[in-house]
Amino acid sequence: MSPELVFQQALNGLSFGALLFILASGLSLVFGMMDVVNLAHGAFYMLGAYVALSVVQATGSFWVAMVAAPLALALLGLVLEPLLLRRLRGRHLDQVLLTIGVSLVIVDLVGLAWGREVRSLSAPPGLDGSVTLIGGVYPVYRLFVMAFGAALAVAMAVIYRRTKIGMLIRAGVEDAEMLGALGVNTNRLFASTFATGAALAGLAGVIAAPVFGVQPGMDTDPGLLYSLVVVVVGGLGTLSGAVAGSVLVGPADTFGKVLFQEVALAVIFAIVALVLLLKPTGLLGRIRIAR
Amino acid sequence: MRPLVRWALVAAAAAVLVTFPYWSAPWVSRFATTVVRDALILAIFALSLDLLVGRAGMPSLGHAAFFGAGAYAAGIASQRFATDQLPVTLGAAAIVAAMLALVIGILVVRSEGIFFLMLTLALAQIVFAIAFQWTAVTGGSNGLAGVGRPTLASLDFSSPDAMYVLVAVTFLLAALVVWGVVRSPYGRALIGVRENERRMRALGYDTARLRLSAFVLAGTIAGIAGALSAYSTRFVSAQDAGLGNSVRAFVTVLVGGAGTLGGPVVGSALVSLIERIVPSLLPPDLRISEAILGLVFIAFVLFARQGMVGLGTYAWLRVRRR
Repeated sequence: MSPELVFQQALNGLSFGALLFILASGLSLVFGMMDVVNLAHGAFYMLGAYVALSVVQATGSFWVAMVAAPLALALLGLVLEPLLLRRLRGRHLDQVLLTIGVSLVIVDLVGLAWGREVRSLSAPPGLDGSVTLIGGVYPVYRLFVMAFGAALAVAMAVIYRRTKIGMLIRAGVEDAEMLGALGVNTNRLFASTFATGAALAGLAGVIAAPVFGVQPGMDTDPGLLYSLVVVVVGGLGTLSGAVAGSVLVGPADTFGKVLFQEVALAVIFAIVALVLLLKPTGLLGRIRIAR
Repeated sequence: MRPLVRWALVAAAAAVLVTFPYWSAPWVSRFATTVVRDALILAIFALSLDLLVGRAGMPSLGHAAFFGAGAYAAGIASQRFATDQLPVTLGAAAIVAAMLALVIGILVVRSEGIFFLMLTLALAQIVFAIAFQWTAVTGGSNGLAGVGRPTLASLDFSSPDAMYVLVAVTFLLAALVVWGVVRSPYGRALIGVRENERRMRALGYDTARLRLSAFVLAGTIAGIAGALSAYSTRFVSAQDAGLGNSVRAFVTVLVGGAGTLGGPVVGSALVSLIERIVPSLLPPDLRISEAILGLVFIAFVLFARQGMVGLGTYAWLRVRRR
């Protein structure tokens, strides 16, 4: 590979990593608070992209979609958590199983409502061009994704560390039951956490749409598959883990696809295997995934 | 019931099942044989998964990786070796699935519960993606077409009815194996691992090895189910190894009733009903069988975690108490 190509692929990898962070941060947040791996996260991501498609068709504005799709998903989360998950409070495995059912329903209904063809969403005006960087032209939108992912990570870190909400989140991740005993309304806290996770998945769906397209199957690849890989590698339930996982998996996947092409995912497989064997908590996590 | 009577009933039921295409012909369409055949393949697949989910307490959401591995191995072996001999192709399926289960098993048996579920899902999905992209070997997104129906010595399973008989006999054998394993001291030890692993370790069991061996056994049976599917449809799709298929098996086990021999079987009947019969009752442009399956699954998780067998047992006890 020429140095220019390496540089380009590094940028691609980092922008994919930024996208993975947006995607995985929601999954990690929900797990941290509720001990539930939301297997409908990929379906939420898919739904976000399709809602964006319709919003762009109706209003002509990508930016409206970027607000509307996460809002729609948040609303869905606010309905689903009390309706389904709350009934099984404390039975974490059963809650996870519920999210499988939710995912089946959402994915099928998305196919019914929007059709099962491959669709596309173009980058918003102003970001749809390309700029000249070392080694050639580069799409502006990918740079925007990178900047957005980084900004979101910083914003989330500030919220975690500096605000009252962040304090509640940190306390909830530590021990949600104790937080309830101290007079915090955990029902409301869990519902809003689940809604925030769903909104982040929806946001990832909108932002990914111009890069990866909008199509059936996106709920598992990249949706659920990559968000799971990121949290396994980086560590579950911590913001820094989601960052570390994304920054590692994004470039690894991108370079794997260039170097090994057809068997690129073997690279990701190897990374997951190595992390599990050597560091069962993930790179920066606190919870042991394996013994 | 006396054991002899019970065995006679089981044998009679088995005979009725195996000869289904022959006695059902006057009453139902040929389509019925296909539906029952596919339901039996799903039942074998679900029975193998239940060894993990229901017995050993290992909720795997990646079981389709082994089903797919078996299907591909049978298809590729018959093409590369230019043979339809059942021992060769089915043997290849079992061996490849077992080896894959060993590799994935080594990585996942050290984790439990939600984490086990997450890891099996992620690793199996990577297997799927490799199958989907490695066009030179698997046919990639086009799938592997033209898989031959097998032959065994002078027996030829190429007709639909003979293929059905092969599936039905394999189903009975698989059920017998699972039944034998569950009753054996080994099967009891697996249940012990599910109930209290720490205690089993204290009793001197190598629990990691128990879990790994169960994982490989279940993977092997799933691989055989995959091979049967490849013979039956003469086609292997990457989706056979995909998450959708893993979820399908998991839903089958839970809806039927985990940890019972009958559960995966009645579960596969219900799932087949939803997938194959319900769509023909709905308008053709209303493709919502997956959503219906999802809703049924949600209902069982929320209200009847023991599945249909659990509901049936409960109802039976209520009736008897009257």
